[in-house]
Amino acid sequence: MTTAEMTREAAVAEVTTGKLVIDGLRKVYEGAQSALPAVDSFSLTIEAGEFITLLGPSGCGKTTTLRMIAGFEHPNEGSIKLDGEDMIALSPDRRPMAMVFQGYALFPHMTVRDNVAYGLRIKKLSKAQIAEDVDYTLESMDLAHLANRSPNQLSGGQQQRVALARAMVMRPKVLLFDEPLSNLDAKLRVQMRAEILRLQRQLGITSIYVTHDQDEAMMLSDRIVVMRNGHIEQVAKPSTIYLKPASSFVADFIGRANFLPASVLTARGSKALVRCLAREFEVDAHPDALSASVQLLLVRPEAMNVSATTSTTVEGDTGRILSAVFYGPVVEYEVETDAGNLVVEVAAPDVEAILSAGDFVQIQFDASKTWLLPAEGR
Amino acid sequence: MTLIAEVESLRAEIPPVKAPQLKKRKLDRVTRLILIAIVLIIAALVLWPLYSILREGFSAQGLEVLGSLSSPTTLRIIGNTLLLGAVVGAGGTLVGFIMAYAQARVQFRGKRLLHLIALLPIVSPPFAVATAFITLFSRNGIISSGVFGLTPNVYGLPGLSFVLMFSFFPVAYMNMLGMLRNLDPSLDEASASLGATRFKTFWRVTVPMLLPGFAASFLLLFVEAIADLANPLVLGGNFTVLSTRAYMAINGEFNVPGASAYAIMLLVPALLVFLVQRYWVSRTNVTTVTGKPAGRVSLITSPLARIPILTFVGLVITTIVLIYGTVAVGGFVSYLGVDNTFTLANYQYILGGIGSDAILTTTLLAVVATPIAAVIGMTVSWLVVRKLTKGSGAMDFLAMLGLAVPGTVLGIGYAVAYNKAWIVGDYMLFPALAGGAAILGGTVGIVMVFVTRSLPTSVRSGVAAIQQISPAIDEAATSLGANSVTTFRTITLPLIRAALLTGLTYAFARSMTTLSPIIFITTPQTKIMTSQILGSVESGKFGIAFAYCSVLIILVMSVIGLISFLTSDKFYRIASAWRWRETIQQPKGR
Repeated sequence: MTTAEMTREAAVAEVTTGKLVIDGLRKVYEGAQSALPAVDSFSLTIEAGEFITLLGPSGCGKTTTLRMIAGFEHPNEGSIKLDGEDMIALSPDRRPMAMVFQGYALFPHMTVRDNVAYGLRIKKLSKAQIAEDVDYTLESMDLAHLANRSPNQLSGGQQQRVALARAMVMRPKVLLFDEPLSNLDAKLRVQMRAEILRLQRQLGITSIYVTHDQDEAMMLSDRIVVMRNGHIEQVAKPSTIYLKPASSFVADFIGRANFLPASVLTARGSKALVRCLAREFEVDAHPDALSASVQLLLVRPEAMNVSATTSTTVEGDTGRILSAVFYGPVVEYEVETDAGNLVVEVAAPDVEAILSAGDFVQIQFDASKTWLLPAEGR
Repeated sequence: MTLIAEVESLRAEIPPVKAPQLKKRKLDRVTRLILIAIVLIIAALVLWPLYSILREGFSAQGLEVLGSLSSPTTLRIIGNTLLLGAVVGAGGTLVGFIMAYAQARVQFRGKRLLHLIALLPIVSPPFAVATAFITLFSRNGIISSGVFGLTPNVYGLPGLSFVLMFSFFPVAYMNMLGMLRNLDPSLDEASASLGATRFKTFWRVTVPMLLPGFAASFLLLFVEAIADLANPLVLGGNFTVLSTRAYMAINGEFNVPGASAYAIMLLVPALLVFLVQRYWVSRTNVTTVTGKPAGRVSLITSPLARIPILTFVGLVITTIVLIYGTVAVGGFVSYLGVDNTFTLANYQYILGGIGSDAILTTTLLAVVATPIAAVIGMTVSWLVVRKLTKGSGAMDFLAMLGLAVPGTVLGIGYAVAYNKAWIVGDYMLFPALAGGAAILGGTVGIVMVFVTRSLPTSVRSGVAAIQQISPAIDEAATSLGANSVTTFRTITLPLIRAALLTGLTYAFARSMTTLSPIIFITTPQTKIMTSQILGSVESGKFGIAFAYCSVLIILVMSVIGLISFLTSDKFYRIASAWRWRETIQQPKGR
């Protein structure tokens, strides 16, 4: 192991730099159609080495937030501090961050090697140092054999790896990703996802990743920031986001959701006894749910099940199948009920036992996997 | 200091109570300095001469001419000018369109050759066509009288518009060809699949789609025609237009304010058309550029369409070949059509003494002006596309003025603005830049004119090239630590190099062949080829004019050839192989 490699190993061990504190970020585009800010009161503390995903529908302000962190947009209000140092005052080229772009943004007039070396040359490192860093990075990303190719001779996946290498080689304190995988096909996307995660964990660089792909967010993130209309809707671990979403918006955006109207009978701490589909259950409740006038019970499709019944009316926990689609690992039913149409996913189905449209069914679900939410004006 | 100014300055010193809001996009200091420099340069190149013309034109003496606007003489001159513009605009657009349509849509062999011949008039000096035309078609013309026994009078509107049409149709041809190639062939296919014949498709789909192109070409040729000075001088006869009238005012009547007044009359329609065209192009660019065409054009093979189109194309091409054949041969005989004995005297004259002087000086000044225009042009395009948000339209407009203003107007403007030194009290702040008394024999003024005329081409190619570079590429460089100047130097400039060189080629060709602005500021010390050619034509020395034209065409073509080789893929491969060799020699590891 060379000394350079040893220092790299050491860098993995202690992740001490790259703590980002964002406070009250606000951005209003001048001359925009709506007077609403693109981003408003965005506050977030990102720990050193953490992998954060900004997730949300298009227009929610996630890219604007990322570009403000990078310095390409200037916030109207708010502060961004990296390890205590104010970033707003610094122009983007002086911020110790590197960005990976959606369209890769490789320099078409340079070879792969020159692309990767670009930032180091700007930094005016010695030739030997540049050659060493570039070689190491190319090697570790399996790009060494492409070093002298020009970007337009590479496949999409290879181009993406070069873009990643070009940012990684800078050893930035913060890596910024702007939907980097959205131009790749599905299979490659999964591969690259794993590669990004591996590298990020290995280098321990604080990372902020913008995406609208929830699978990507679930797999990569230490914490997910769900955004909507310029605001943070929820910041939490992927499992919390999925199982205990802060709002019906988050519940609907991440995964698929059934919202059942439920009436609270009694409340005890964070639990509530509710009546739903003509039955009574004890469920976990969102802190705001109990004080709200109307509540919804979130039940994920995979937490539900259906079984054939002799009943022939749609009422209470009895419903009628509208459609049944066999996907292989699951069969998906759309079921008509009193509480609206529900989606039910049955895993590892027995092909012989798949119900068909028109069949009447009894609906069951596991109360421990539900979550009571306050109803929004949705 | 007035009271108001004092209050204002006080107010400026009071610190704002509330913390200032962060600006949306602050230009960094270097960029701001560059911006100021560019604005000053453009002001010197175009705005000051324009202002000087207005000042002279609206002086007492100038107002006399402007006041005669309603007199029959002036009205006739204005009418002549507009008529000429309309005829040349319509005719040139039609010829250009048919040539482009044949090139893009009709099946025949020799398309490359057609293309090259059609572009010949672009790289040739303004007199080549006019002089050859006189030799071929005038009263004693080789063809008119020699072949057909006719003695037509070619001086006046018909001959003039014919010559101008042949000089300028390549512009329309290039425009239309670009548009035809951008038309999505699937539109034709859709029309055909809905049951339309090819002819119907042509009338109902192709032509309507090209309407903006027709309009743009017409306007472009209109302005070129009304701005032209060289051809009306040689061929106008009694048909006086504004440019020749202004020329006479200066050269015959020594009436500078009067000339300025005529220049203003010429400037108004030219600027109007320029503005209309800008507006039009900005409104229609969505329909003209449809992105990557899908499918393939099926070429016309039906003889019903091919025969008339190709006959027309053949006639045009034959005329061009005849004209340039006349230029080539005319240089080697004493007086083509009159005394056809072979002689080298013409070339001896222009390659030795005065002639070689003019050739050297012109080439040298054009070579100096071209890179200056390129650097300013690329900087302007960078500011327009990447840096300016509000003022970008205004900046682009300023840079384009160099072509929007007719050459005659620009020339008179330079003559007025830079003929005298700028003296305040006893101090000379600025020496005279143009005219006989100017420093360096007036070459500074000439280079400035070349730069002004070349700038728009340079800006256009620069803007187009920079717009094709995704802003993310710039941001990637910034994100890797490059500041805006470094980004421009290491990313933008290399990426637009090809476009830059192409822009340079046209700029160089334009400088070498321009006459109308130059003629007003040439000096006895500084001889420019085009004005030498004018002299030869006016004194009837056609042989010398032909020899000059040939040399000029060869010079321009060689530069174009050289540059297109430098930007070709072949050269790129050689160059990158060379670079690659260096790269693998780089130290690997320690």
